[in-house]
Amino acid sequence: MKKNLLFLAGAACGTALLLGGCANSMNTIEPAGTVAQRQMLTDKRLITDTGLHRHVQPIGINTATGPGGFLKVQVEVQNTTGSRHSFNYRVEWFDENGMIINSPMAVATSRTIEGGETLAITATAPTDRAKDFRIKFIEAK
Amino acid sequence: MQTSLRSLPLLSIPAAGALLLLAGCSTPATYVETGSSQLVVNVGQINIQDFNQAADVMVASLIDNFINAGQCKSSVAGEPALMAISKIVNNTSKQIDTDLLVKKIRIALNRTGRIQTTTTMGLGGAEDPLAADQQKAQEFFEDKKHVRLPDYTLSGKIIEERAKSGSIRQSTYSFQLSLTSRSGVAVWEDAKEITKQGSSSTVGF
Repeated sequence: MKKNLLFLAGAACGTALLLGGCANSMNTIEPAGTVAQRQMLTDKRLITDTGLHRHVQPIGINTATGPGGFLKVQVEVQNTTGSRHSFNYRVEWFDENGMIINSPMAVATSRTIEGGETLAITATAPTDRAKDFRIKFIEAK
Repeated sequence: MQTSLRSLPLLSIPAAGALLLLAGCSTPATYVETGSSQLVVNVGQINIQDFNQAADVMVASLIDNFINAGQCKSSVAGEPALMAISKIVNNTSKQIDTDLLVKKIRIALNRTGRIQTTTTMGLGGAEDPLAADQQKAQEFFEDKKHVRLPDYTLSGKIIEERAKSGSIRQSTYSFQLSLTSRSGVAVWEDAKEITKQGSSSTVGF
């Protein structure tokens, strides 16, 4: 009986240590009042993978155009779970007529997000003709 | 002898089963999109998606920090700046064609409408010898210089760094590029590291 109790206690400690070691959650700090003025956009979302959406949840999009006229996009995503996750994303650009701009650079980019982390994904338009964009997220294999 | 002959059909059953199993396990060849995340990943070599990602980052950095910042200047008003390709050093253990990186950057820069690449001037000779000859012939007949000197030159290096711990192998490839102006100043520079880790090749990022 005593042996069994000791074994159970050992197993419980081991599990707790293992879980503690596996956690990849992140703590952050930033100024309460930020100086930067962001131009946030209202977005339209199509969620087909709810699991991925929990790990990579878009929380806002802001854009800026530089002196050269190229559109720059920043998407903030948050991992609402407590575990590390790898994902891929791809940015598509569209001209003023809504036609897709083919670029040799339209490749999937891989990123890793820690548990609870907020990550900024940035992309610069391949040409100053790009006026709109679409960002696709997909699970890493 | 009779016994062994009789056992032949019995032996052939497991053999046929094994063959069927092997055939069932093999993956048929399929087409995958080069820009997708379904590509084979090798730890010990630079894969096509690594070149694509490095080129992507370099072009984004060039547009962001140089072109979009209004620093790209052309010597001919109203025309895009002219760039020539200089030396791209391969310091990895494998023989690679550096055009897998450079060509994508050239195409992307060309499409920005702000930078074009000369094919009649380059390190070790013209990329397009016929165009270079045509240019020379035109200069001879018109008795006038047509050669436009590049505003910028692109140079770089690809470096490999390997590490191993037990059965886990790790390779880091560092892609380093510099854009130098006529006055010899590196007006833009960037580096992108890609690290891969594993004990065997896999499919996907």
